[in-house]
Amino acid sequence: MKTQPILIVDDEKNIRLTMSQSLEPMGIPVQTAVNGEEALQKLREEPFGLVFLDLKMPGMDGMDVLREIKNNWPKTRVIIITAHGTIGSAVEAMKIGSVDFIQKPFSPGEIRELATQVLGRETLDEESVVDYPSLIELCNRHISDRRFAAARETAQKAIAADPAQPEAYNLLGALFEIKGDEPASQKFYRAALDIDPSFKPAQANLDRATSWNKIGRIDFGLAPRDADGDNPSPKGDDHEE
Amino acid sequence: MKVLMAGRGKTLYFLCRNFTAKGYTVVIINRDREECVHLARQLSALVVCGDASDATILKEAGAMDADVVLAITPNDQDNLVICQLASIQFNVPRVLALANDPDNAEIFEKLGVSAFSTTHIVGSLIEQRASLEQIINLMPVGEGRVNVTEIILDADSPVSGKLLKDIILPKNALVAVVIRSNQPIVPRGDNDLLAGDRVVLITLPENHGAVLKAFTGERK
Amino acid sequence: MRNSLYIVIVGCGRLGSHLANQLSRVGHAIVVIDSNEETFNDLSPDFSGFRIVGDATQMAVLKQAKLKRADVFFATTHGDNVNLMVAQVARKLFNVPHVLARVFDPRREQIYDQLGVETICPTAVAAEMFLMAVASHRAAAGEVKS
Repeated sequence: MKTQPILIVDDEKNIRLTMSQSLEPMGIPVQTAVNGEEALQKLREEPFGLVFLDLKMPGMDGMDVLREIKNNWPKTRVIIITAHGTIGSAVEAMKIGSVDFIQKPFSPGEIRELATQVLGRETLDEESVVDYPSLIELCNRHISDRRFAAARETAQKAIAADPAQPEAYNLLGALFEIKGDEPASQKFYRAALDIDPSFKPAQANLDRATSWNKIGRIDFGLAPRDADGDNPSPKGDDHEE
Repeated sequence: MKVLMAGRGKTLYFLCRNFTAKGYTVVIINRDREECVHLARQLSALVVCGDASDATILKEAGAMDADVVLAITPNDQDNLVICQLASIQFNVPRVLALANDPDNAEIFEKLGVSAFSTTHIVGSLIEQRASLEQIINLMPVGEGRVNVTEIILDADSPVSGKLLKDIILPKNALVAVVIRSNQPIVPRGDNDLLAGDRVVLITLPENHGAVLKAFTGERK
Repeated sequence: MRNSLYIVIVGCGRLGSHLANQLSRVGHAIVVIDSNEETFNDLSPDFSGFRIVGDATQMAVLKQAKLKRADVFFATTHGDNVNLMVAQVARKLFNVPHVLARVFDPRREQIYDQLGVETICPTAVAAEMFLMAVASHRAAAGEVKS
């Protein structure tokens, strides 16, 4: 498979520069855009495999840009750039088909690892994947393809493969929340917390899901782990302590 | 016993008064000239004016033959450096740093300096407020890694009237001594517990709350 | 840049901002931490790194800077004790491979060498330069004489 170029969309020059320089050693061509309009223009000109997208930019709303990208180029993968551990509209992002986040500041190695991880998902063989980390990756791929039923099935397989990891339960909780099945989603958020009471993403999801004034936030556990400076491997159990 | 204390304010003042009353020799190091004068007037302690994280000041304060150095300034970085200097350069056998930021208590321990956080202490006291009135004594030993707690059981205690072997205790906890009518007993599984018993518990900070709850029950 | 490093600098004073500007210019990924936001004005317009406003003696701030990922860590604040504390945390708790702290008091430098923290003392460096200047002057003068 020919590697398609990567597009970086951010209004901040330093982010575009840092990202381009970080991705350079991967040998994949990189292009940049300063806003949503320019990004969509570039996407119309040639296909991109991966887009790094800042949601907070002047001009066109970041979520609208994301929606446009996923509607017109469903195979293009999108990594959302955030300033904080969680983003305000992550449930929307997931529905649209974006599941990956990177939190500022980022190291060059981190950007390359995440790009490699997201692009590497494409080569997973749906039929033969059996181990927990690969199942999580496959589940994320299904979400970015908006195949939510398949994603739920894969998350359940991941739980069966390793019932002692909180991420899969949390992911399944988020998927049920998207489906509109709130009791099931809360059940799985709680299950994630039973395994690891310090697993922050599930706690955040449960707090939100059980609070009265609901604001659409789903925490996938990617960004907050980075916030702790932990390794973003799917089995990220390397807590400081 | 000779105690060196670096810090300021009321905590320092009352601690010093407490120590001198016990007959300890206390030396205070304080940066503020005015406060130094005030402390020297009020307390029967030697007061050295200067920066305690400066080795020459520590030396002047007699760090060479100090038994304990206590760093309780409002700046965590100063407390760390004071303790490290005292233990490395002056071989002070016991140093203790206040961690104003509770997160730093653990960090200091990892960097080899014993530390305590008043936030932690007050916080855990409040958490245990239900059982506070029943706690007679609480003594951290082993640099705070183990707690020895003496409590008095009342009629509402969930363990009153139970045999020791029937009480489900969290891991790494022990009933060390039961004192009944002034008679200490080192209990075995077939000893029972009664209201009015004074029980000495060995706990770890992580299971302390749970163990206390098992003996005093949930109270509002 | 192929060998781009992730460098965290605590303190954005004259030294910190100078290092940040230079290292950013040659293509390294830089994070600068300072508790005073105004100090970031000393960063050049082409500085391409990240800025964090916060007290680096708080673990949460260092975590936010993703210290675990850092290749290099510089402590350049005006407080010796702050520099020594954050340098130790970076080295021993986050295992940053290369940690350097500026320490003004040359006596403190020794004790921290013992603790495995690499320090640079401006006074000692300057003194050495002056002594070298004197030595080379003597050598030159001696050569002329002989």
